[in-house]
Amino acid sequence: MSEGVVVNRKRDENGTAALPGSASLSGSAVAASVPGSEVQGQAEQGQLVGTARKKWLILRLLPWLAGICFLALWQLRLFHQLFSLESYQLPVPSAIAASIRDNAEMLFRYALYSGTEMLGGFLLGSLLGALAAAGASFFPTSGKAGIAVMSALNAVPIVALAPIMNNWFGDGIWSRIAVVAVITMAAMAVSLFKGLTSIQPQYGELLDGLAASRMQAFLKLRLPHAMPSLFAGLKINMSTSIIGAIVGEFFIASQGLGYLLSDQIRLANMPLAWACIVIAAALGIVLYEAVVLAEKRIIPWNRVRTNA
Amino acid sequence: MSLRSFKLEYRSWIVIWILSLLLLWEGIAWILHMWMPPQQAASRLPYLHDVLAALVRYSGTLAEQGAVTFGNAAIGFTGGALLGLMLALLMSAAVWLERTLSPYVISSQMIPIIGLAPIVYGIIHNAEWARIVMAAYVTFFPIVIHTLKGLKSTAPEHLELMRSCGASLPARYIKCLLPSALPGLFSGMKIAAPLAVTSSIVVELMGAPDGLGVLMVSSLYYGSAQAGMFWATIVLSIGIGLISYLVISLAERWLTPWQPEFRAKGGNVV
Repeated sequence: MSEGVVVNRKRDENGTAALPGSASLSGSAVAASVPGSEVQGQAEQGQLVGTARKKWLILRLLPWLAGICFLALWQLRLFHQLFSLESYQLPVPSAIAASIRDNAEMLFRYALYSGTEMLGGFLLGSLLGALAAAGASFFPTSGKAGIAVMSALNAVPIVALAPIMNNWFGDGIWSRIAVVAVITMAAMAVSLFKGLTSIQPQYGELLDGLAASRMQAFLKLRLPHAMPSLFAGLKINMSTSIIGAIVGEFFIASQGLGYLLSDQIRLANMPLAWACIVIAAALGIVLYEAVVLAEKRIIPWNRVRTNA
Repeated sequence: MSLRSFKLEYRSWIVIWILSLLLLWEGIAWILHMWMPPQQAASRLPYLHDVLAALVRYSGTLAEQGAVTFGNAAIGFTGGALLGLMLALLMSAAVWLERTLSPYVISSQMIPIIGLAPIVYGIIHNAEWARIVMAAYVTFFPIVIHTLKGLKSTAPEHLELMRSCGASLPARYIKCLLPSALPGLFSGMKIAAPLAVTSSIVVELMGAPDGLGVLMVSSLYYGSAQAGMFWATIVLSIGIGLISYLVISLAERWLTPWQPEFRAKGGNVV
């Protein structure tokens, strides 16, 4: 019984991406939960005892109930009364949904633009970070020091990078790609380097004893061992890249979700500003789930999924 | 390579890397100054010594505004970390709570929370509180996620042993669950610290009366004339982020010395 519950919990955590956003997004959340439902989980589900199954069902429904309650209370303006807010400060979900519907075409175009920045920067940064980590893993001491210095990039506030990159690459799409690439690079390098080097000493000794070359040790021991860290890095990067793209667009941009967001806030058009956040969140969740799915496909042996 | 033969230590390598990066900065700035008119070059990448000079010249203003930014970020960070730790503990104790909230907490990291900063500032029209709330908000989620992950990574055998010895719930938490959650808590804090500084600066960019973000925007408006000042604010904000990161790393080293990467021999295949 406990076996089945555990399996289902695992599945649920990865599959259900419930959103604290607007009600109109629940469609995409359902779609995201579909790839998670594996045959194995359903087979085990059949073995569950009746009571356990009921309990599991309740636990499964709880997040949805909580989300619906939250949205309902928001819609009924409970938060407005609690914090004495007006509707123009905190729009109700229905107003946000209406705003998404009215501006669907523009939001879609901007989401594509921001998504391009995110993905471009994400791929470039992750690749550079992975290369740095792989190179550094061949030089234990100096490489470790280099990664430590590089990890300083992690501590750099994104807002400081955005104006610099604007100076360097102009106000086009490349400046945001550069911002995202710089922030994702460090996280990937740190995460992958950790995976490449935190190896049980006895494995290393075994390969030493077999007179394996450093390249062989890298390919046969370190790289397979580091795959979970690689994906942990990718997952961290996916979530930071959307922040990087949005904050990068706050400064100088002529399109994109972040530009629209800051523009609408200046115009005090809060429903559309919230719509930007909701769309950006949806974009982030879809891309994140894509990475999770890739992880499941590529390294099925990794039992403990790292929720970055 | 005479350097290699001395078998340099880790620390000296860090110094070498930092020095060579600074040299690279100075070198690139020099090349830019050869190529472009000085004003244009200075806005791209000013000489390092110019930035340092600006740091010293405006040190009074910078320290004042930096303290405002850092103070607010730190207060928010502490509050957010405490709340996050508490929620993670509650979630580990009550399954239904974890099941209800975990999808939201997990998906919350894909939400560009910092995008909320202007909205929060619009709601709370107090610059001080807006910064604190944003910093706390940004800190909260990584802490919950990573602490919960740490709590769950407790070896089941250890818990079974404690249960078979009849250990009480507080004893289980203090002796087994909390120590295994500490590495998670620290990695959450390391992710959250720069984000807290960033969110505080974003609120300032959106129209707070004081802080580093305000300096950044105003010096950006004056263009190349204030390039030194602009870069000084950036260096300072990077410095603040780095210092908070280093403090947390030191605390981690001190409080969780058993982690593999801190062992004298971390299992490096040489």
